[in-house]
Amino acid sequence: MTEILLNTPLKETDIRRLKIGDVVFLKGSLMTSRDMGHLKIRQLLDNKENLPLDFNGSVILHAGPVVNMNRQGGYDLVVIGPTTSIRMEPYHRMVADLGVKGIIGKGGLGEDSLKDFAEYGQVYFQAAPGCAVLLAEGISEIKEVHWLELGVPEALWILEAQRFGPLVVGMDSHGKSIYQELREKAERKKEALYGC
Amino acid sequence: MSRYPHLYQEIYDMIYRATTSISPDAVKIMREAIGKERNPTAKSIMQAMLDNVRLSGEKLRPLCQSPGFPTVYISFGDSSSPLEDIKQLWRDALIEGTNQHLLRPSMVDTLTRANPGDNSGLGVPNFEFDYHPAQNYLDMLVSFKGCGAELANAMKIFTVAELEKDRGFAGLKRWVLNTVIKGGGKFCPPGAIGIGLGGQMDVACKLARRTVSTRRWDDTHPDPRYADLEKELLENINSLGLGAAGIGGDTTLLAVKIDSVSTHTAIAPAAITFHCWAARRTYIRLHPDGQREILF
Repeated sequence: MTEILLNTPLKETDIRRLKIGDVVFLKGSLMTSRDMGHLKIRQLLDNKENLPLDFNGSVILHAGPVVNMNRQGGYDLVVIGPTTSIRMEPYHRMVADLGVKGIIGKGGLGEDSLKDFAEYGQVYFQAAPGCAVLLAEGISEIKEVHWLELGVPEALWILEAQRFGPLVVGMDSHGKSIYQELREKAERKKEALYGC
Repeated sequence: MSRYPHLYQEIYDMIYRATTSISPDAVKIMREAIGKERNPTAKSIMQAMLDNVRLSGEKLRPLCQSPGFPTVYISFGDSSSPLEDIKQLWRDALIEGTNQHLLRPSMVDTLTRANPGDNSGLGVPNFEFDYHPAQNYLDMLVSFKGCGAELANAMKIFTVAELEKDRGFAGLKRWVLNTVIKGGGKFCPPGAIGIGLGGQMDVACKLARRTVSTRRWDDTHPDPRYADLEKELLENINSLGLGAAGIGGDTTLLAVKIDSVSTHTAIAPAAITFHCWAARRTYIRLHPDGQREILF
């Protein structure tokens, strides 16, 4: 098992080299976004309003952290881990059009996303689920927060990662999804056990 | 007035322990599963899970960012009821735990999605009370069950024909496997499933949640028919190869727990609830004489 360390913003050449099953660690800026965060992005785009940052080459982490407000008025990360990504599937094209290159979460995305991954050069990273203390060790600081009015889990947090991972490539830019392959294999096994 | 001194503190300690550790039975079977795992990536993910539990205990931080949804199981008898508003104590302790960052403020109004910021939502936590007149102690079990896992849950009112009783209940078993396959990596595998059978829809769902939340994951069902069914489903589900985090491997589930009650002759209700690997739960027994037992 070789471990690959990649810097953000991600370049398309980095993405195209990755294949399902690769183990990756990320260094650089990461942002969080989940259900309400994606909805907010859509609303701003629909209203032709500005987004608070440039999403080109960025990595979105499907996660809502636990944070502590410190005495200086800043925020300290307590813990962070991945949330279930399929809820964000309806926003996949919007995210691709924004130039997002990497998505981190758990459980993978759907078939439409997989097509976009190939077309736009994107990749899906599976993070170790429920390992929020371990994953937080890879983050050095919280750089910014936007939309805190949506609540702590749903706000857009900008994090600086030293070595965030381990992340397993679950869907690559060559049309391969580890989730889809395993599901098809499991279906055949199930039919052999109990019929269809 | 209370039968139990420091009842609030006991409750707060339960929340503290439940968010910064997993129950010892789950640690034990995770260790056994790591020993048997043949897929190196899955093995390292499961090792990361146990490392995370250790780090959580060392750093006194919640082991998962999501507190899930808390359900509190409480049972008592005539001589052991708490005599005070135990629901309020639990609600207050959850808010304090949130302010201390043991829990992320995740509870929102279901329709407006407004977040009060301290997990003080209506119906939070959920309570399941049980009354046994002669029971002379107070049992409290809190279970924080992750909500990504909830997305994989399923409920079905089977007909008798759909059960395929004459084919070893193949219809029921196929549905369970289908549900697990559909669940993929959503539920933070390798976790556990609870299967509730019988009653009506509400009963089957409650049984599923209760059995996976309150039973030790390494126990054996006292009824050999269900013990066999649990074993068969666990082995066959793990043979599907979905694995830890849903990226392939030998261990998709650590446990299958079934509970069943009678139902109406016209129906066969079944519910499946998924539990993430992080068995965040604590179980204590308080005696009116001040004695306390930690059951897990």
